[in-house]
Amino acid sequence: MKAQESTPPRARVAHVLLNVINDGASLDRELDAARRLTPDPRNQALIQECAYGVLRHYYSLRRHLSQLIERPLRKRDAVIEMLLLSGLYQLFEMQVPEHAVVDASAAAVRSLDKSWASGLVNATLRNALRQRERFVPPTTDDAEACWNHPRWLIDTIRAAWPDDWQRVMQAATARPPFTLRVNRRQLARDEYLVRLQDADLAARALAHCPDGIVLESAVPVSSLPGFDAGLVSVQDGAAQLAAPLLDAQPGQRVLDACAAPGGKTMHLLETVDALELTALDIDPVRLARVNQSAARLGLQCRVIAGDAALPAPWWDGTLYDRILLDAPCSATGVIRRHPDIKLHRAPDDLALLPARQAAIFDGLWPLLRPGGKLLYATCSILPQENDDVLSAALQRHRDALAAPINVAWGRPTRHGRQILSGEHDMDGFYFCVIEKAAHD
Amino acid sequence: MAILQILHYPDPRLRTIAKPVSVFGDEVQRIVTDMFETMYAAPGIGLAATQVNIPKRILVTDTSRDGTDPRCFINPQIIELRGVEQMEEGCLSVPDVFETVERAEWVKVQAFDQHGTPFEVELDGLLAVCVQHEIDHLDGKLFVDRLSLLKRSRIRRKFEKAQKQAL
Repeated sequence: MKAQESTPPRARVAHVLLNVINDGASLDRELDAARRLTPDPRNQALIQECAYGVLRHYYSLRRHLSQLIERPLRKRDAVIEMLLLSGLYQLFEMQVPEHAVVDASAAAVRSLDKSWASGLVNATLRNALRQRERFVPPTTDDAEACWNHPRWLIDTIRAAWPDDWQRVMQAATARPPFTLRVNRRQLARDEYLVRLQDADLAARALAHCPDGIVLESAVPVSSLPGFDAGLVSVQDGAAQLAAPLLDAQPGQRVLDACAAPGGKTMHLLETVDALELTALDIDPVRLARVNQSAARLGLQCRVIAGDAALPAPWWDGTLYDRILLDAPCSATGVIRRHPDIKLHRAPDDLALLPARQAAIFDGLWPLLRPGGKLLYATCSILPQENDDVLSAALQRHRDALAAPINVAWGRPTRHGRQILSGEHDMDGFYFCVIEKAAHD
Repeated sequence: MAILQILHYPDPRLRTIAKPVSVFGDEVQRIVTDMFETMYAAPGIGLAATQVNIPKRILVTDTSRDGTDPRCFINPQIIELRGVEQMEEGCLSVPDVFETVERAEWVKVQAFDQHGTPFEVELDGLLAVCVQHEIDHLDGKLFVDRLSLLKRSRIRRKFEKAQKQAL
C-alpha cells in the first residue's frame, strides 16, 4: 500500500527534530531512519543539513522564533515549532530561495496532520523575512541564545576554562572539518593527497597527525577514492593522536577498551606491526562496526563484548603490555559533530560519569603488566572527567605514575594534555599516559 | 539486499493466489529483507510478496512516518473484523491512483513472524487498513476491485493506454 503522498523532506526534518529534542532520541539514529525513507539524495542532504543546523543554533533560533509569534505553541503542536525553527534556519543560514522555504514549509503541515497551521507557518516565515532588518542578534544578556548552549553547560565550561570558554562554544557551534586518516599500510599521505587532487577534491595535510588529511568540504564516503578498498577512513584529528601516544611496540599484547566503533583500534593496527590486539566494548551492536572496519581495511584483531569494569568474564588471564582506555564520557569535546549532545546531557551526568570512569580504570589496572602503559582518553573538555578522575586513580593505585607528554599540540594539564574544541582543527580531547611501576 | 521490481496493474501475475510458507529458512529471511528494502525505497507503507512476483503469503508494513514500525506477517489470517471505515488508499502496483475504499476499522490477525513464531495482534486505523489491503494482494485482489465498475474501467483504460504508449 502507498501512503497518500510520500512525506515531504521538511516534514521529516520536523519529526527528526521533535524526536531528538523532545524525546531524547539520538540524532544519528533518527537521521539513519529518515535517510532510509527518503530515496532522493538531494532530499537526504536537505534533511541532514537542516537537522544539524537547527540543533547547532537551537537556542538562538528559538529566541528568534519567540519574537515572531505572539503566543507560544501548545505542547502537542511542538512539531510545528520544529518546522518553523528549520524554516528560519533555511531562510537565514542556508542558500535556499525564500519562496521555496515558505511554500514548502506551509505545504509540509498537511503531511504532519496539522493543516490548520499552514496559515501560521506561512505568516510567521514571511514576517521573519519582512523584519529581517529589525532583528536584533542575541547579546550576552541572553547567554543561551548568545552561545547556543544550555545555561548549566555554559557555566560549567566557563568555570573550567575561564580564558577560553567563549572560543570553545563558538567552535562547538561551527561546522567541523571533514577529516580523513590515510591507511599507511596501503599508501602514504602524500600519495593519497594526489589521488584526491585527481578526483577534484580539495584537501590539505593536517598538522600534528602524520596520517591526517582535511578535506575542503564534506563528501559521501562513497566518493572518496579507494574507500571501499580500505585506503582511507573518516576520523577526527584528535582521535588520531591516541595511537602514537600509546607507544605500542611490534608484537605487543594490546587491549583497546571501549573500542567501538573502532577508529583508534584500526589506527593502531595500521601503524604497528604484528600487534596482538583485543578490541573490547560493552555494546555488541556497535562492535559489529569494528569488524566491518577491520574487514574493509584488511586488518585483524580479536573482538569481544564485555564490561571493561568487570574483566572476569572475558579476560584470558594474560597481562597486557598496553591498554587504551577511551572512556565513556560527556562527549562535550565533540558537540560540533553531535550537536544533540548539548541537549541530552544534564548536570547529573557529571556526577555519574566520573564514577563509571573510575570503575573502568580500577577494573583494567590489574590487567596491565608492570612496566606497561595505559592511555586514558576522553572526548570531554571537563576536568571532572579528566584530571579529577586521574588524581583520584593515582591516589588509589600507588604503582601508577602519570608520564609527561612531550608534544606540540594542546596544553598541559595537571596529569595529561587537553585539546579544546576547534584547536588545531580538532575535536576537544583529553589524554593522559600512565605507567605502571616495574617490579624491583 | 536488493530492491525488487514491483508489478504494475493490469499485470496478470497480480492475480496469482499466493501459497502459504511452510519452511522458515534463509530464503524467507532474504525475501523479507528485500521486501522491506523495496517498500522503503518505493516509498510505500505496505508490500505483499505477490507484488514483487513471489507467490508466497508474506507481507510487510511500516505505517510510521519515521521508519520505526517495521512489521512482517507470514501466512496472515484475519480471524475477527469489527466496524466500517472509509480511507483513501493508494497502491504501489497502481501508481498515482488514490481512491476511497471501505474496510473493517478493527481486525484481529493471526500470523507468523519471519522466524516462524506464531503471533496474534489486534489492529486499528491505518495499520488495520494496510494489512487488509496487503492480504487482498495475497488472494490476487487489488483495491481497484473494490471500486465501482465505472471507476475501475476508467483506471484500467488509463493503464492500458500508458502501456501501449510505452511499447
